Amino acid sequence: MTAYIIRRFIHLIPTFLGATFLAFLIIQLAPGDFVTRLELDPSYNHQQIENLRHLFGLDQPFTVQYAKWLSGFLKGYLGISLSYQTDVWQVIKPRLLNSLVLVTLSILFIYVVSIPIGIYSALHQYSWGDRFWTTVAFIGLAIPNFFFALLMLYFALYLKDVFGHEIFPIGGMRSLYIAGLDFYSAPKWRQWLDILWHAVLPVIVSGTSGTAGLTRVMRTQMLETKMQDYVRTARAKGLPERVVIYKHILRNAIIPIIASIGFLLPDLFGGAGLVEVVMGWPGLTPLMLDALFSIDVYIIMGSIAISVVLLMIGNLLSDLLLAWVDPRIRYS
Amino acid sequence: MAEDKTNLLEGLGEHSLSHWQKAWLRFRRHPFARWAGSILVILYLMALFADFIGPYPEAKSFRKLQFAPPTAIHFKTETGKLVRPYVCKVKRARNLQTFKLEFKQDCNKHYPIYFLVHGFPYKFLGFIPMDLHLFGGPWVMSGKAHIFLWGTDDFGRDLFSRIWFGGRISLTIGILASMVALLLGITLGGISGYFAGQEMHLIRGFLHFPSRSELASEGAAAFRRVFSESSLMRGWRNAVYEGQVSGYIVGLVFQYAFWILSIVVVVITMKGFLSISTGLELAVAILVFGGLLVYMFWALIFGELAVDIDELIMRSTEVLAAIPGLFLLIILSGMLAKYDLPSATRFMLVLSILAFVSWGGLARTVRGFVLQLREMDYAQAARALGAGDWRILFRHLLPGILGYLIIVVSLAMPGYILAESSLSFLGLGIQDPASSWGLLLSKAQQGGMTALRDRPWLLFFPGFFIFVSILAYNYLGDALRDALDPRAEQH
Repeated sequence: MTAYIIRRFIHLIPTFLGATFLAFLIIQLAPGDFVTRLELDPSYNHQQIENLRHLFGLDQPFTVQYAKWLSGFLKGYLGISLSYQTDVWQVIKPRLLNSLVLVTLSILFIYVVSIPIGIYSALHQYSWGDRFWTTVAFIGLAIPNFFFALLMLYFALYLKDVFGHEIFPIGGMRSLYIAGLDFYSAPKWRQWLDILWHAVLPVIVSGTSGTAGLTRVMRTQMLETKMQDYVRTARAKGLPERVVIYKHILRNAIIPIIASIGFLLPDLFGGAGLVEVVMGWPGLTPLMLDALFSIDVYIIMGSIAISVVLLMIGNLLSDLLLAWVDPRIRYS
Repeated sequence: MAEDKTNLLEGLGEHSLSHWQKAWLRFRRHPFARWAGSILVILYLMALFADFIGPYPEAKSFRKLQFAPPTAIHFKTETGKLVRPYVCKVKRARNLQTFKLEFKQDCNKHYPIYFLVHGFPYKFLGFIPMDLHLFGGPWVMSGKAHIFLWGTDDFGRDLFSRIWFGGRISLTIGILASMVALLLGITLGGISGYFAGQEMHLIRGFLHFPSRSELASEGAAAFRRVFSESSLMRGWRNAVYEGQVSGYIVGLVFQYAFWILSIVVVVITMKGFLSISTGLELAVAILVFGGLLVYMFWALIFGELAVDIDELIMRSTEVLAAIPGLFLLIILSGMLAKYDLPSATRFMLVLSILAFVSWGGLARTVRGFVLQLREMDYAQAARALGAGDWRILFRHLLPGILGYLIIVVSLAMPGYILAESSLSFLGLGIQDPASSWGLLLSKAQQGGMTALRDRPWLLFFPGFFIFVSILAYNYLGDALRDALDPRAEQH
């Protein structure tokens, strides 16, 4: 097992290099660079701009820039943000944490909602409840999450009009004040509660398509496992139905569901990204969009590199998890 | 006589159906397939006839009627008499109490709505000059009154017309992008699967350094084979044996060009990097770059480096998949959005970006099938009959996975529609004055979170169409999978 993990880790290195190099290459596609916009500013003369370019290493060939960035990344230094005038990690860190709050809560939401519904649908196949959830799942898969996010905002605004105060917050991640106190001077648990309250709608929105997909997978898995011979044997032995369902069917059916966390992650990252933009959640994607407009290279590179690393680790973990839950899977 | 004939034919299987006929039967049996199919047909027709259906041209704007709500259509006069449907003139005025802009109807004069009227001229299908519109009236052209069935957007453009114009882009970009992605996916996936296990040389050295055992057994005589045993000469002999000399020489030219270019890139990078590094970084850099260069020169002279082309292509798809899809999409289009491009070019650009981001998954699927099929008897038979690699791949193997490809494409279609609308929604895809559903939807939130409440038509109409087209494609894909999956035949 250890050998397998090490091999997988080594396997990740070229992928990481390729992905970051590709991203770096794409950023070079844009005309001009970060200091180009200063050329229109009369307070800078040509020499100053060239000096800035030299200072940021923008006059070097881009392979040199990439090598320099990579060597910084290996030392834990992500470079300097040109528009925030500070260390990139300082800019990315809070945004990354915000995004992770959203993604983690969404994963929880997806699993907590989709597994019971999948089980129910499979056990009551073709009943009205099953049909209802199937339809809901199809709608959930089809609704674009930025549209859904806008609908939710509209809904929150409507509730506010009806009740006179905010039942759900209209966008954002934190209230300015909690019970009269400034957000950051309020007690820690009130702060977390406030964030959770803000997260309700974004989590529902970004979790919906994942939930819909996973419900379908769970249902199919349960249906397939139900037909297995060992289930019939279990019934023939006279085991109570509850034991048959939860110990024989569910335990086998749930294995691919656990593994699918690796496939869920990239979609979730993207999906949550759009929700962040629409609902004003200060996550990584809005930061990236800002950085794109000002060609703030190292913010873009930092965000991408970190999310690539997170995704790769997520995939690896889900593979290991799968190997751990399912003793039939052997890695050599 | 006639009776005898019918008797003879009886039971001779006049009802045997081809694979595609059976698939069509299964397709029709799917509960929602027909609904989904007809909705899509209607949407595509509406988009095709957008100029005819919409009363206004795509870019016609009314500066004084920004964010006008849907125009009310009256069926009765003030006295309650039923008349031909008409609209009233709408004016924008500032409410002096709230200082908000409000739209007021002025129903002193009625503007009746007629069907099939002459209006703004356009070119039907791009080349037939016409000015017939589905509905409207003489007042549409003169601007005395307006008919905005679904309101207007931020430039005072008719949303109803723009939805159908936008449909042209939103509905076709998915098909075109999936075609391009499919082409890439089939080619690369097919090559990957078919040639899996065969080595492709990146470089062949021209000298052979005798191994230790050779030196021990033959002594200095081993050096006599320093040329003849080199990777270059072995490859040459092999090429002569197989009669592929010209291919071998072309390959060799490419190998050397690639290798020399790589060395140049490494040298330039090293020079630049060393000039801006100090201390430990400098030392490590010298080791890494120096090692790399030494290895490259050594490989050029003595060694050989070959990769499995399958490995290479699959690794590239992994690299593409390693970056979160949305990030890859937005950096690609964000960087290219900096160029000032005409609408048509931008359309092609968005299309290529979507295809570039998504070919990896298709290539993996195709590769999997080809790996399976190339061991099949009919592939072996074709080879035994003397068919070439490419003929076997494109004439024998790929047709075998046609059904799967249709399924994969139809299941991927909603993804493309979604991706295009997300990009346009973020302002990185299709841009004004062209129209697409995502772009139209992005106007809903223009001016802050609460702007939604004041102009819900900008939220519901474009969003509804994105939703419906994705839903329809989902059902269609589902039905096609049920219909075309050979495993389904057993049921």
